[in-house]
Amino acid sequence: MWLPILFLLIGVTLGILTDIRIPDAYTDYLSIAVLAAFDTLLGGIRAQLEKTFDDTVFLTGFFFNVSLAALLAFLGVQLGVDLYLAAVFAFGVRLFKNLAIIRRIVIDQKLLMKIRKK
Amino acid sequence: MRRRTKWLVSVVFLLIGFMVAVQFQTTSYETQLRDTRDIWEVREELNRQQEAQQELLKKINAADQTIENYEKQSSKEQLETLKESMEVLEDKVGLSKKEGGGLEITIAPIFQEDLSVQSFPKVSPLLLSRFINELNTYGAQDISVGNERISMISPIRDVNGATYVNNRPVGSLPITIKVLTSDPQKLKDYMEASPTQDIFNMDNMEIQFELKEKLVLPKFDDPLYLEILEETGG
Repeated sequence: MWLPILFLLIGVTLGILTDIRIPDAYTDYLSIAVLAAFDTLLGGIRAQLEKTFDDTVFLTGFFFNVSLAALLAFLGVQLGVDLYLAAVFAFGVRLFKNLAIIRRIVIDQKLLMKIRKK
Repeated sequence: MRRRTKWLVSVVFLLIGFMVAVQFQTTSYETQLRDTRDIWEVREELNRQQEAQQELLKKINAADQTIENYEKQSSKEQLETLKESMEVLEDKVGLSKKEGGGLEITIAPIFQEDLSVQSFPKVSPLLLSRFINELNTYGAQDISVGNERISMISPIRDVNGATYVNNRPVGSLPITIKVLTSDPQKLKDYMEASPTQDIFNMDNMEIQFELKEKLVLPKFDDPLYLEILEETGG
């Protein structure tokens, strides 16, 4: 459990130390990619809790979602429609759904533990 | 979790962390403006700030002096100090008459000598406030329009087609504007060269400037409604 968190911290420090900035025109892509990454992350946690975690699915899901989101944003820019909002919406909804499921599973487990103790 | 999975997840976490950091940096960078000043501009800015600092220090000094006076003195003297500071403040706001050297400006109508129909010219509030702004820009300290002292909250409005200053009509032309300033000649030169004069001319009005050794400005005699004022930063 500590290894991913350690790597997360390393990533954040690396990002801050390298002082990389995305040009204004591409901020949409990055923000949506970050959103996709969060979505994949929560999806992975949920799958782990449901015991259906598969690393291939997780990995491909991560890259596929991120690139699809960026592609959608790109398409939106080309068409003059704010298509990236669709991605934001979809990811936002899924984020909440996954969070709700994770919460439920965690609460259920705790409740079960309590009942068992009794 | 298997070893390989752990490492995979960790690498994904690394990527996410990196992305979040870059995103954070990009968004926080946007808020601060890029500094494109060259060395002279920076120097000027520094100079300005130093002057501002001096000014502030002076003010602090004066305030400290007042506080000291309060603390040292007996209650009678304290009252006097209070009155004194009130007078100073009233003077500053324009609640008292003021005398001094300055510029007397007369706005008078121009009549064309042809027979075309011409209406009697009048000063619009827009023009008047522009004129007053200009006077203030070029170093006017106290201004009165006709019999109305311009204070910090003096309204200049259009009421049913007539121009009102301090909620009273300025009347028809000619209008006298009195300006107190430390350097009347300079103000006169500035105003004579200003393009606002052309706008007055377009509306069939002319401006005459006259240097005066002694001018008396009336006091602002409306109550000060300070509720409408708001504190600003800086």
